[in-house]
Amino acid sequence: MSDKPLVVENLTFKYRTRPELAIEGINLELKQGELLLIAGSSGCGKTTLARCINGLIPRSYRGERSGKVLFHDREVAEIPIPEMAQVVGTLLQDPERQIVASNVYNEIAFGPENLGLPHAEIFSRVDQVLKRLNLEYLRDRETFNLSGGEKQKVALAGVLTMNPSVLLLDEPLASLDPASAHEALQVFRSLADEGKTVILVEHRVEDAIEARPDRLLYMEDGRIKYLGPIRDLPPEIDHRQVKLPAPWVVQRVKALGEPLEESPRRKVEERGEPLVVFEDVDFRYDDEFPLILQNVNLNIYPGDLIAVLGPNGAGKSTLVKHSIGLLKPTKGRVLIGGEDSRKMSVAQIAHTLGYVFQSPTHMLYAPSVKEELEFGPKNLGYDSALIPKFVRESLSAVNMTGFEEYPPLGLSFGQQKRTTIAAVLAMRSKILIMDEPTAGQDFANYTHFMEALCKTSDGAHSVLSANFAATLFITHDVDLAVTYANRVLLFGDKHIIADGTPEEVLKDESLLLKYRVRPTSLLRLNLELLPKTGGFLPAESLAYYAS
Amino acid sequence: MNDKSTWAFGTRQVVYGAIGAALYGVFSWATNIFPLPAAGNVTFRPAVAVLIFFGAAYGPWVGLLAGFIGNTLGDALSGWGFYWNWSLGNGLMGMVAGLAMAAIKDFRAQADIIKAVGWGLAGIVVGMLFASLTEMITGGIDLNTALIGYFTPAVIGNAVVTIILVPILMIAFAAVAAGRGR
Amino acid sequence: MLVTWKYRRRNTIIQRLDPRTRLVFFVFVILALTIPDIWDLRIILPLFAVSLTLFLLSRIEWKDIRRILPYMFILVFFIVGLNGLLSGRGGPSSVTNLPSPVVFEVPIKIPFTDIGWDIPITVSKMWFAITQITRMFTMAMLVIPIPYTMDPNIYGTAFKRMGASDKVSFTMDLAFRFLPTFARDFTITMDAQRARGYELEKLKGGLVGRLQRLAPLIIPVVMQSTVTGEEVIDAMDLRAFGTKPRTWLRDNLKYAGRDYVLLGLGVAIFILCCVLKWGFGIGGYFVPEFFLNLFV
Repeated sequence: MSDKPLVVENLTFKYRTRPELAIEGINLELKQGELLLIAGSSGCGKTTLARCINGLIPRSYRGERSGKVLFHDREVAEIPIPEMAQVVGTLLQDPERQIVASNVYNEIAFGPENLGLPHAEIFSRVDQVLKRLNLEYLRDRETFNLSGGEKQKVALAGVLTMNPSVLLLDEPLASLDPASAHEALQVFRSLADEGKTVILVEHRVEDAIEARPDRLLYMEDGRIKYLGPIRDLPPEIDHRQVKLPAPWVVQRVKALGEPLEESPRRKVEERGEPLVVFEDVDFRYDDEFPLILQNVNLNIYPGDLIAVLGPNGAGKSTLVKHSIGLLKPTKGRVLIGGEDSRKMSVAQIAHTLGYVFQSPTHMLYAPSVKEELEFGPKNLGYDSALIPKFVRESLSAVNMTGFEEYPPLGLSFGQQKRTTIAAVLAMRSKILIMDEPTAGQDFANYTHFMEALCKTSDGAHSVLSANFAATLFITHDVDLAVTYANRVLLFGDKHIIADGTPEEVLKDESLLLKYRVRPTSLLRLNLELLPKTGGFLPAESLAYYAS
Repeated sequence: MNDKSTWAFGTRQVVYGAIGAALYGVFSWATNIFPLPAAGNVTFRPAVAVLIFFGAAYGPWVGLLAGFIGNTLGDALSGWGFYWNWSLGNGLMGMVAGLAMAAIKDFRAQADIIKAVGWGLAGIVVGMLFASLTEMITGGIDLNTALIGYFTPAVIGNAVVTIILVPILMIAFAAVAAGRGR
Repeated sequence: MLVTWKYRRRNTIIQRLDPRTRLVFFVFVILALTIPDIWDLRIILPLFAVSLTLFLLSRIEWKDIRRILPYMFILVFFIVGLNGLLSGRGGPSSVTNLPSPVVFEVPIKIPFTDIGWDIPITVSKMWFAITQITRMFTMAMLVIPIPYTMDPNIYGTAFKRMGASDKVSFTMDLAFRFLPTFARDFTITMDAQRARGYELEKLKGGLVGRLQRLAPLIIPVVMQSTVTGEEVIDAMDLRAFGTKPRTWLRDNLKYAGRDYVLLGLGVAIFILCCVLKWGFGIGGYFVPEFFLNLFV
């Protein structure tokens, strides 16, 4: 038996259902204890490569495969399935879908139970892993009630009880807030240090490098474009495809010799009468429950583009649900267009405020995009002669003209997301509220999405400013606040901790850390260059100011 | 894994059996909470359409498990107890509906939708007949009472829901399936 | 909307029983009443007492069942009443066709027509109804406490121990796992559609239209679940599900003395009913003198 945990030789795969090759000519060799980062945008082939490594290809996904995937010289297709899970352990992207048991202990024991191991052996393995990952405090909890970060750790524990020598982590950060992601990365590093071979598939390179990967494999169009140490990252790697640290982006932009120009200052809009007013709002679900909001005061003005930051469970969603009337304050009041939300139905409020939920699959239902977009305006009782015009204009605003007859459920995730925005546009709401607008999309896609919504060129209006008097979005991504917002709310501990321009709110690093908001390299670089720039800018634009 | 054979029973059937059961349980339970149309003794449970759809999409075993376990969960959540014969009747309903799976090629095609609804209706008759007739034995009611008191209202309610909602579910599923490449 | 199980940990003898014992006992009671076809209230009443005792021993709080009980009574009275009106054509209740004094008559008319019948309610039918209600509740009282007193987490293991396969038993566990998830998804979808002006309270149109208008609530939840399933399959395959006979971790179910007592009681009830009916001809339906005398 060779000492090479994993060798991939000239691997090519084509899915039965698709005409083109998903991956082509992949060669790769991993050492014990090595941590490899695989990066690339959606559709670059990294998921297919992962499936070839964990044996789902060729077992579960049909297609044409050539080349070899060898674990200690044994071909993956020939390793019996029960053994496979002990060779390579896979952590899937969404722990919500990886967890199959109702409580933590059973979840972690699931794999060994499937192997038919004796009780004593299972108990000892589970206890060992619980200890290793410091999860003893969770052992009797129900999986449903865990936080995202806890779910991820429990899912990882369930993989580790199988004692695999190779760990494959498929976009493990996607559903985590930055603080939990940071913790997870430390765990991945320590597992590699203990001798496991770790493969980390992740498009957020900036975050993933915290795990100090030994090498980076960068893919584009199903091929390896770069494989080597992270320090020697060649400039060909597209900083628009994967998220790189801001200083690297600056270097790259400079190295590529793209024209550098001074950036226009972000416009500060005139503040008129507030559109939405929170007055001393308290909220709790029931007398028996603790307060979720306490003494919240907030005015939303025309021209605001607000990013709401803060830890999970602090009450951000509760805050937003008050503004659209899904919840009514226990004490104090919320005024929408000057009227008390208690006297209005959700449908009445929808004339003023449109809410785009985090996952488009929670709302899309109609057989065609056109019908999906007609749903809101019809509910609100708009004149049926006007509705086709609303639909047409909102589709055009999100650049989806021509998709009228497509079924929304068959669209790509990014298109679905845009359809949900169009659905709110078609209701002619004046204020747009988005919960985690970038969730579920990779870096290239969400950057494109946010640019399409927020970008102004030559003083023209953006999609947002042309259609909405104000926009508010909840996010975990500090860079979204840095890049796109003109006002930031830091929410934590039942109330608003800080409220101001991004430059004002985000400069206090210790305050951010206190509320589990992790400063990014883009924020730090911006703060450094603030005296020159006078305002926060995206990484590319900083190249002009960086020396 | 992408097994279209009617009687295969593997991880896929376990997962969709469980998902169907959970959905059936949740929707049955939700029907108790939200006001839904009702006419006399006939109640319309949208959950039934979900069960018939799961049968048609994933086969007889999934239909059986989803119906049996789903009905058990729904009764448990509402606090009714455990009525094995109605759970089994619901299981049969999903199982017979599942016989449509092999015949369905395109979830959007009218002919295939009619097949699914047809098998669904057959399943409703078989399943509800089973449950009603067992009530004769355990409850000591006579055939007329079983047919008029249990069978007829259950069949009417379930059939209406199936005819209206199953086609909508199938068309939506066609789009979802097209967007996936397994 | 959160899924809340009716189950609560209570320190009762019922909850210390093996879950299988309770199901098997229930089966024996059904068999005892149905196989020898027992319709004698003198035999049914003691069994009713046993059921009632077990029901009370489970110490379910009144507030838990006060919403369910009225429905249960309405259903039972409706069915028994209907049976009384219709009976006479097959089934156990054909016994009520025996000649018996008529107490009163119920006129039944098909609405908007003149066609109708006068249905005679006899003493025999009334006694039968009383027997039937007692018999139904004897069985129902054994199953009503199940959701309140049996930990949902062990349903799967209980299935397994009663002879179901690994896969079927795990389906049960997995369904429990998904239940709260889908209930939450349903709530989110509800909120998302309400934010688009959808008002469930104001569903308009006829029956067809109103059912169609439920699509915005049902479709997103169901379709999302079909996508979730594909990934769950991968997750389970990757952890060797279904490749070998499984170990069941909670498989520490063992019969204790009390279980044998209840199981023994179940067997005894069954045998006694069979012996009484077939050996001594006791247990069939009859109307006691005193009841008859009330009306004649």
